[in-house]
Amino acid sequence: MAAVRPFGKLPALNSAALLLVGSDEGAQQQLAEAILKEKKSFKISIHLATSLPLPSERDHLRPRIDLIAFMIDIKSKYSLKNVEASLAHVDASFFLGKVCFLVTGVGRVNYCSVETNAVWKLRDVYCSPVLYCELELEGIRVATAQRLLRMLQICAGHVPGVSALSFGSLMRNSEDEQP
Amino acid sequence: MQVPLTHGVKAEKLPEQMPDHQPSPAEIVNESMSRVDAKEELLDECESIWKQMEECQSKLTLLGTETLPESDAKLSLLMMRVKALTAEYNLWQKRSPEIISTNPDVLVALGKEELQKVKNDLEMVLSTVQSKNKKLREDLKREQQWHDEQLQIVDVLSGIEEEMKNQVVQFSEKRAFQELKNKMLKLRTYKEELLNALGEFLEEHFPLPEEDGSAKKKKKNSSEEPAVELITLHEILEILINKLMSTPHEPYLTISDSFWPPYIELLLRYGIALRHPEDPNRIRLEAFHQ
Repeated sequence: MAAVRPFGKLPALNSAALLLVGSDEGAQQQLAEAILKEKKSFKISIHLATSLPLPSERDHLRPRIDLIAFMIDIKSKYSLKNVEASLAHVDASFFLGKVCFLVTGVGRVNYCSVETNAVWKLRDVYCSPVLYCELELEGIRVATAQRLLRMLQICAGHVPGVSALSFGSLMRNSEDEQP
Repeated sequence: MQVPLTHGVKAEKLPEQMPDHQPSPAEIVNESMSRVDAKEELLDECESIWKQMEECQSKLTLLGTETLPESDAKLSLLMMRVKALTAEYNLWQKRSPEIISTNPDVLVALGKEELQKVKNDLEMVLSTVQSKNKKLREDLKREQQWHDEQLQIVDVLSGIEEEMKNQVVQFSEKRAFQELKNKMLKLRTYKEELLNALGEFLEEHFPLPEEDGSAKKKKKNSSEEPAVELITLHEILEILINKLMSTPHEPYLTISDSFWPPYIELLLRYGIALRHPEDPNRIRLEAFHQ
């Protein structure tokens, strides 16, 4: 079993890799397609996984992962548990700005089974930003894809002067209006 | 296309305590360069930077993996963040901006690119602001219209209110007064009518006794001549009514000689008058109204 490490490999030129971890594969596929449709100036590869750790057979084929986005579906407690279990296999230095939590399904308020407190606990403990989105709506899906793309760009180091750590701190401070 | 060489590239002297600094990948995208030596110069720089990166990479691989502990994950993570942020901060303090290359071609191409980017961004901002302005103007116009309509409505309503107020006040006072007056008038006329009818009735059926013998024959105690002038039943009733109405606490009337005794008997027998319980000489009118 190979744990994912932020600087385990050399980066490829002008490219970035995103890892989506979540139990809802359909949503992952949707989001990945939306991201690929966006206009971008670098090569991007998106890896989908249902849980960590990643199987070690294909480890040598994988590029350096620049950003891990954990997808939590607000309608299923299982996805939250899955994410929490996977978090234990992430190298600690990823949490310095290269991890973000994506909470999907927030459009359907009637079916929430994951409490907001649980999500905030994750945010607090792992010091990573939380993005809320509703992937079934075209506009929000596109907007989320753009946000993730921008974050990926920064985490891969393509934006001079902004490091993943400083960007992560910036995002957290703007969210701290919530209790 | 990406900016080829930026300040980030120069800061490749990684100190040991900062394992998390990420070198920006060096890349050349400036295909429009004509001068070969300029190109070569850039290529050489990129090569050296890439070598530096490989050195750092090898150092990093020696560090190995560590995952966050289950308990107190937040504390250890925060400590790591503190270290990393301090290291980054120190690095920024030490840096100073450097020109990437003194080659004029490179600089010109770079400058053009930057300016182009800035121009695009500004155009986007301009169009956004303009559309926002337009929308705001439309909103303002709509709100103004609504406001005017509301003012009109307020004016009309207050006018109606004024009218209604006046009408209501006048009406109620005047009308009530009028109604009371009418009622009083009606009652008075009714009272007059009743008294007249009563008077007529009494005169017809209960006249004063005649001074001839036929009347006297009827009476038993007619021993004495009626020295006192008798008053009519009508007058007796009047006196009784007045006594009851004016002094309800003392309605009793002493029978005087001017009352014709048979009439008194008549009144008493039919319950129109009542005797005083202790004094047989006093009578009162029955209180029919209570």
